[in-house]
Amino acid sequence: MVNALAPQTAERAAPSPPSAGPAVDGRRRGRRRQVVVAYLFLAPTLLFFAVFLFLPLGFALLLSMSRWAGFHLGDIDPVGLDNFAGLFADGSTFLTPVLTNTLLFALGTVVLALAGSVLVATCVDRLRFQGLWRTLYFLPIVTTVVAVGNVWKYMYEPGGLVNGVLNAAGLGSVAFLQDPDTALPSVVVVQAWASVGTAILVLTAGLKSIPESYYEAAALDGAGQVTVFLRITLPLLRPSLLFVCVTQFLTGLQSFALIIVMTKGGPGDATAVAALEMYRQAFSYGDWGTASAAAFVLFLVVLVVTLAQLWFFRRKGEDA
Amino acid sequence: MTGSRRPGGLSRRHFALALPSALLASGCAAPHRGTGRPGDPIVLTLLSHYASGALRDALQRPVDEWNATHDRVKVRTEAVEFTDLLTTLMVRQAAGQGADIIHPYCLWNGQLVRAGVLRPAPAEHAEEIRNGYGAAAVGAASVGGRVYGYPTEVQTYALYYNKRLLRGAGIDGPPRTWRELEEAAHRTARRDRYGNTLVQGFGLSTYDDSTTVGQTLALLNAAGGRFVSADGRGTAIDSPAGRAVFGLEHRLVAGGASAPGVNVYQAFPSGQVAMVVSAGWWTESLKELMGADYREVGVAPVPRPGAGYAHATLSTGFMLGVNAAGGHPREAWEFLHWLNTERVGVKGARKGAAATRMSALQVSVGSLTGRADDMRTLLGEGGDPNLRPFLDALAYAVPEPNVPGAQQAKSLLRRNIEALWTGQQSIDEALRTTRRQVDREVSRSW
Amino acid sequence: MNRRRFPWLSYLVVVSGAVLTVVPFLDMVMTSFKGPGEAGTLPYRFLPKAFDLSNYRAAFDQLDLPVLFRNSVVATALITGSVLLTSSLAGYALAKLRFPGRDFVFRLVLSTMMFPPFLFFIPHFLILVHWPLAGGNDLLGRGGAGLTVSVVALAMPFLVNGFGIFLMRQFVIAIPDEVLEAARIDGAGEFTVWWRIVVPQTKPVVVTLGLLTFVDAWNEYIWALLVSTAEPEVMTLPVGIQLLQDHVDPTRTMPIVMAGLVLSVLPVLVLFLLLQKHYVRGIMLSGLK
Repeated sequence: MVNALAPQTAERAAPSPPSAGPAVDGRRRGRRRQVVVAYLFLAPTLLFFAVFLFLPLGFALLLSMSRWAGFHLGDIDPVGLDNFAGLFADGSTFLTPVLTNTLLFALGTVVLALAGSVLVATCVDRLRFQGLWRTLYFLPIVTTVVAVGNVWKYMYEPGGLVNGVLNAAGLGSVAFLQDPDTALPSVVVVQAWASVGTAILVLTAGLKSIPESYYEAAALDGAGQVTVFLRITLPLLRPSLLFVCVTQFLTGLQSFALIIVMTKGGPGDATAVAALEMYRQAFSYGDWGTASAAAFVLFLVVLVVTLAQLWFFRRKGEDA
Repeated sequence: MTGSRRPGGLSRRHFALALPSALLASGCAAPHRGTGRPGDPIVLTLLSHYASGALRDALQRPVDEWNATHDRVKVRTEAVEFTDLLTTLMVRQAAGQGADIIHPYCLWNGQLVRAGVLRPAPAEHAEEIRNGYGAAAVGAASVGGRVYGYPTEVQTYALYYNKRLLRGAGIDGPPRTWRELEEAAHRTARRDRYGNTLVQGFGLSTYDDSTTVGQTLALLNAAGGRFVSADGRGTAIDSPAGRAVFGLEHRLVAGGASAPGVNVYQAFPSGQVAMVVSAGWWTESLKELMGADYREVGVAPVPRPGAGYAHATLSTGFMLGVNAAGGHPREAWEFLHWLNTERVGVKGARKGAAATRMSALQVSVGSLTGRADDMRTLLGEGGDPNLRPFLDALAYAVPEPNVPGAQQAKSLLRRNIEALWTGQQSIDEALRTTRRQVDREVSRSW
Repeated sequence: MNRRRFPWLSYLVVVSGAVLTVVPFLDMVMTSFKGPGEAGTLPYRFLPKAFDLSNYRAAFDQLDLPVLFRNSVVATALITGSVLLTSSLAGYALAKLRFPGRDFVFRLVLSTMMFPPFLFFIPHFLILVHWPLAGGNDLLGRGGAGLTVSVVALAMPFLVNGFGIFLMRQFVIAIPDEVLEAARIDGAGEFTVWWRIVVPQTKPVVVTLGLLTFVDAWNEYIWALLVSTAEPEVMTLPVGIQLLQDHVDPTRTMPIVMAGLVLSVLPVLVLFLLLQKHYVRGIMLSGLK
């Protein structure tokens, strides 16, 4: 997932060749043995990727261009690009609201999580008991989505905590998950709540790697806190921010477990997202072709969004 | 609660072994359809949504009876919640684990037949079904004129009302026309100062596809309208009747008489809803939930737009069919014949009264079957007067369309009426969008 | 940045954020003790009237907890064990062994991380269904239920992890070649070198990777939901508890569900609190790439 960033690191981390051995003859024999051993060590991995990565990719591509009810492999009926065309045909709900919801869901999560984590991370950096805060902020990450979803679903109910607080403050109740206008934002809040811990951690690491001398120099120049934050902290935090952005966006675009638990895509299709639609088309309606086509379209969206972010951050980097 | 417990527990041992041997071990695992050894009984699995409480027990009773009296063929029940039933049917079928006998919602028959899941009923069984059941039930169990199973539970829709709440608002009897319905709804609705709904006049369920769409289609049928066009390839919702129903619901919500966010199925039994259009299955669970308060519940036919309209409402239903992938179709049909056609004496009824086991089962849980004669026998004297309107409705109810894509069409209709209720769409937009989306979905599925 | 003054504002932000994070958990615990009709009614009350344990009893009665627990443990153990083993072996080979195609394999490993999991739900399910010679299937994968009948199905798609391999490789590289070479000269085979030197030297990252994998595997929901739909016998804890809602007395649904959730969340939470340093390190490492 995070890998969009990985290749450059890989280049840098390339290992030095093993140091010279004692005898050339033994070395050659050792080499040959190393080749065998290396592939032996890699065998389970390569086998796994063959069966669970390449085979499925090919299969999914085949299905996306076929019509199939899902039962007998012999019944797969190729139909070309019909499934893709169907997704974007008049009257199809795939583009709006499904794909729109997906993008809004991801964007909302990123913005909330990023804002929250930048705020908290910069504040935590100056406090004592950092370990304690970290532990607390981290609790949602290690909690199953079933727990997170149900607890929040219950808190959003008319007799739940959130409305209880609103009522106590003299405000009217909100039907968070039942009102299509508030359902998607309400789910976005939960997704952000659940992922902000990771972001805080990554940003904290980023903050710690900024040399103290930069701040000292800025203090000597008499720069204010806001200036320091905008001119020093944010630019130097760029790699961490990029990482948080890219990973949160990826998660947001493809996750639907929280939505299954909280709203099942409702009310109406207010929280229907692409991955959930794909799941339903295949496993409830038996339309495996449309489901696979939807998966590839979503994959394309994920790729484009990720590349766009990399490009954006890189350009920003050159400007600075 | 995890459905069936399979004997043998092959999967139980796997974790003790290293992975490769685990894979090998599972390689030897036979699918669980009996042992296959000659002399051992054939085990038929039956998948339904009769997963808990009285429903599960009611189905288990005749199955136990069959198992006690038949040595060669045994039946084992499996159950999931209704909301998971379609996905479970499809996933298990795809996994090669489809049950021998399935109990689908008739709405899905088009999809299941097209996917080759259901086996057409053999001629003698089809004949039996055509002769034994009402037209709506047979229609629901057929696709393209071919019968695919024994109709079991039939649900018709009627108006539930809380007598105490209506009395409290100065209304004597249930509404018969839409105007009376609206008036009663507005007079019974109450809110607190935070805007929390205390009492809804007319409950609109958003609980799931079936309840949400069911109430709307019942009103649509009562107004003389149809959801799917006669040729089954498009929708007929965009009609004066459809417009009238959408308008009625829109006014109820906008005027504060309905609060679609509230779970009607919890709020009505606790006296927070005055009226709901729902199917007859609810009677039994209301009795269980409400105890002594149940005497305040009344049932009346679905109100009509005006006095000039004939009675009409929606009927939905289930059927028991045989899986095309099952290994023992003859035995499965034999069991279904025994369950659905053979008549046995009815306990507590007059001497000589007889009904099928399925009819007795359904009536024992407050539901109906499409066998009108059985229903008259079983509900003849005494019984819950609230069941009467549902029984009467068997004569005039309109079956739910079961074309391929019907479930998706239903979901699309649901989304659009929910958008209408919440003010995201106007009546015109909702009608137009529904027509566009349903037309595409249904035509695509053919 | 004036770091000497007491940072009031920072404390305010961090503490209110922490309260926002923790309150849902407290609400979950409190609700799990609430009696019939006490949860979800107006006006909202945070504390239960009495600490009623009957919801926990009900959760125990309704759920086949031992089976759910066992399935979760088996799947998690298979995944964690396999990821650690394959990552360490592959990581060592990619870092320290010389063989043709090494760069290609490494790039391949990196590229696997690019594909989002939803792309694989459908084909993975079908591959497991049509696994040859399993669950009554013939050699061509026809006729039976394949691997889906087995608890192994829960683990299969997660047995190898590209990120794990990448992480291990980065750490194995840091081991000085002289150490490995010395062992080889002493006549140790590559397997011995791996087991005697590489594994002990990378212990901290093994713990970290193990913990990350464990938590993810324990909490996995979507795939487990799919497999459990096909075969209820292999249901895991999260799936079972989600189903619990449909089966309990509606006036007590939420308290019983919350009780079940407390029971399922507890093991991971305890493990996290005990080993959080390693976990936190793992997240940092994934961020440093």
